[in-house]
Amino acid sequence: MNVFELVKKAGLKAFNEFADQEIRGVYISDMVSDIIGIGEGNLLVTLQTHKNLIAAANLVDVSAIVFTRGKTPAEDVIALAAKAGIGLLGFDGDTWTLAKKLCELGIH
Amino acid sequence: MTETACLHRWQMTNFRSGYLVTEGCFHCRLRISTFFEEPVPVIDDYREGDHFWSYLGSAQASRFDFRCETCDQEIPFPDMMALMLCLKCNPACGVFQAGEADKEHKTWVYVALCANTSHSPRICVGAEGIRALNEYFNQDLHDSSKKIIVVPCEKRQSVDTCEGLVLADVGLTELY
Repeated sequence: MNVFELVKKAGLKAFNEFADQEIRGVYISDMVSDIIGIGEGNLLVTLQTHKNLIAAANLVDVSAIVFTRGKTPAEDVIALAAKAGIGLLGFDGDTWTLAKKLCELGIH
Repeated sequence: MTETACLHRWQMTNFRSGYLVTEGCFHCRLRISTFFEEPVPVIDDYREGDHFWSYLGSAQASRFDFRCETCDQEIPFPDMMALMLCLKCNPACGVFQAGEADKEHKTWVYVALCANTSHSPRICVGAEGIRALNEYFNQDLHDSSKKIIVVPCEKRQSVDTCEGLVLADVGLTELY
């Protein structure tokens, strides 16, 4: 599934404009130091909205980032993500609820 | 396949989490960082020769090694403490300039930080490790116009004025 399709099917909010990408997996983490170990193409699900997260996400080439629990990134975070071409998405529910939804949509 | 003939395809191995503890010497104002894998970061003050080390701060960080999937060559990173994204704050800095050399790609420069920012023991992350880091982080990029450049921190002009984003989690252990 691609990111644009996920946004529609899961009812996600988009904080910036970005190019569509294939989602190759999902990774859930709230720690920047943990993210650097993941492979490319993952949809990153997190509560962490710090700018360091974008630096790590860019390094490991995520497909997009979803902030759960209604978290909203600051303008400088959105700007850095836009420069990196990383889509920032929002989900009002908690991480577990999003994880179940992703499984139901066939994203593993 | 021999290691020298191999077009390496690196895999991250031995990924471990720990604490990046920064200490400063009030005598010479030197700063060093050390990676600890203990559950609680070390915060003791101690003397080591002419140095009087004090705890300055810590962050949760991680370390890893590489192994080539094709030839099994292994590259450990004993001298690398963390990675940092350059925010291009200073055109005179060697890290900034490393990203400017390539005009064909959209480049992102990351710095491999070593333990001793003064580089007085003349040790920084080695050339073989730097080469492997560049190969690893570029090997599966989805966008062919994007390029990750990893450089050693000895290229950085100033530790004190650097605005780079260190890939570590600061503040989660401030209770200790």
